[in-house]
Amino acid sequence: MIRLREVQKSYRQGERTTVACEVTSLDIAAGEHVALIGRSGTGKTTLLHMLAGILRPDQGTLSILGQDLSTLSESDCDRFRGQHIGMVYQTFNLLQPFTALENVLLGALFGRGAGADAEERALHLLAQVGLEDRMHHLPSQLSVGQVQRVAVCRALINNPELVLMDEPLGNQDKATGGQVLDLLLQLARNNKQTVVMVTHDPESATRMQRTVDLATLRRVSS
Amino acid sequence: MRLTSISLRNLRIRLVSTVLTLISIMVATGLYAAIKLMAAQTQKRYEGSLEGYRSVIGPKDASELELVLGTVFNIGKSPGLIRLQVYEDLRSGKALGRRAQLLYTIPQARGDEFSRFQFPVVGTTDEMWNKFTRGDQPLQFTAGGPWRFGHDDLLALASSFAEYLSAKRTGAAQMPLRPPLLPAWRKAVIGARVARQLDLGIGGKVTPSHGKPGEFGFHEHEEAACEVVGVLAPTNSPIDSTIYIPLGTFVLLADHEENVFKVDVPQGKNPDDVKHLPVKAGDLALTAVIAYPKDHLGPRILRIEMGSRPEAQAAWPQDVIPKFLKTIGSVADWLEYLAVMVLLVAGLLITVAIYNTMNERRREIAIMRSLGARKGQICAIIVGEAAILSLVGAFAGVVLCHLLVLLLRTTVEDLTGVYLDWAAFTRGEVYLVIAVGLLGAIAGLLPALKGSFTQVADNLSPSS
Repeated sequence: MIRLREVQKSYRQGERTTVACEVTSLDIAAGEHVALIGRSGTGKTTLLHMLAGILRPDQGTLSILGQDLSTLSESDCDRFRGQHIGMVYQTFNLLQPFTALENVLLGALFGRGAGADAEERALHLLAQVGLEDRMHHLPSQLSVGQVQRVAVCRALINNPELVLMDEPLGNQDKATGGQVLDLLLQLARNNKQTVVMVTHDPESATRMQRTVDLATLRRVSS
Repeated sequence: MRLTSISLRNLRIRLVSTVLTLISIMVATGLYAAIKLMAAQTQKRYEGSLEGYRSVIGPKDASELELVLGTVFNIGKSPGLIRLQVYEDLRSGKALGRRAQLLYTIPQARGDEFSRFQFPVVGTTDEMWNKFTRGDQPLQFTAGGPWRFGHDDLLALASSFAEYLSAKRTGAAQMPLRPPLLPAWRKAVIGARVARQLDLGIGGKVTPSHGKPGEFGFHEHEEAACEVVGVLAPTNSPIDSTIYIPLGTFVLLADHEENVFKVDVPQGKNPDDVKHLPVKAGDLALTAVIAYPKDHLGPRILRIEMGSRPEAQAAWPQDVIPKFLKTIGSVADWLEYLAVMVLLVAGLLITVAIYNTMNERRREIAIMRSLGARKGQICAIIVGEAAILSLVGAFAGVVLCHLLVLLLRTTVEDLTGVYLDWAAFTRGEVYLVIAVGLLGAIAGLLPALKGSFTQVADNLSPSS
């Protein structure tokens, strides 16, 4: 499902080059739920962005579903992301002028298409997470937990093979966040979806099948 | 959910900026549409006004343009006089006009006006009702009907008045009676605009006058006050602003005797001696004769034929007016260029208005990109906003233009005589709306490019 080899991403700041993320080898099987942990600055979010095709590695190979993302054009990479990857961010990143239903449909619009089927699926997903009476509300009219559930629905609308989550419980109480995470993992299990979650919260990591510490993936300096 | 829904939503959430830009596009397009509409309808009015006037015969000391503007459009003072004999020669088709095959010849005398609006009073014969046609139709009446003063009445009056004046000028011992102004001749037919603007109807009174009311030299011919017997249907031509009275009434106005007959100074004579020379019926002065040759070749033939006559010429309105409009057209062209510049500035406003929002929209764009939106789709959303803005603005501008025409048409007609048809939507306006939409789309390209190159990873978090 996911295969990384000798992947490195660096940033230049003037004369200085900082290695933001380094992964010598990582394999994640289809349907596996993996937590990526690590201290601040170990490049968790950078790795997540590379897995999503938002950032390109400077070196190494990164393939998802057998597709080497580095060989795709930017446009094809966007299309691949839209169709095969769903993302949930720490800040949920809903678009404020759009209702809950519209936010979920935006995921479909840029993914597999926002036709009548997509709307039906969006309504079903929102109902599954208990938002059937909030689907026409704007994000500003929803609680944090409700916003998180809308973000989960948006990530799942295209029935993606891979779901990426960046600190999804970061901004809320653990009880509420945990419930939503359990719900997402349940849905992902039902649909045999692969889930990769970046977190610094050990308790959240225990909900996943496997935990990978990014520090262990770095090349050992000689 | 479509890309256009996102464009529309983006316009809605920036309502103030959207409305202000919309207004600028609307005003610019409205201005452009108004200039085009005015130019087109002025041209239509000028060309339409020529119906029925295939040839205009008038004095040789005026230009053809003066002759046509004076006779057809009531513009300017009468540039001179021609003799009744010219009219008779044309009418009989013997000495003149045979080859031109004239369908009608109608004499006109003008010089007096009515009311503070200075509607021209034209003396003519009832052939104006019986023979004159516009688009194969005689002039229509919305109320009442025509007065009677025929060709025979004119000849009889010219003869008796010439006899009377000759006796008076030569100091004859036996003075014949001055021909009376018959009550049957003190009638008027008025154009639609005269009726509307002066609220005149059947039974109303029209008194020919000289000069402007309230100014020195103003004089009303109370003795020739005419009763309105007919109101003409609107023609969108200067006929709407004209008062027609029998030529006999015009001839018999009290202080017109000096100029009623055209007498040339014989060689070797003092100009003052002319006042004492006898006059003939054929010397009766007319300002113009409307002639209508059977076909379009006729006016050229008539122009050549009249060239041999020292005292008159034939003007061909269909030749003169287009040349005149070409001159006016260049002014309209300049106004059009100005309006195009205003449109371009409005296009620039769209660019600035949307470009200025790009910084605050970086996160929104990054989120859409993270959901799989391609650069092209981001471009399409932003260009769509600009295109929607300009299309709606342009459509509103065209509607605004027609609404203004609807509101101001009476004022414009009263001031200029040009009747503006507010409901005359043209294909050109459809093209204008499309063109402004395209202009807007082009104006949206720069912000669209900026938006599509937004760095996704850097802008996904709220703090960035």
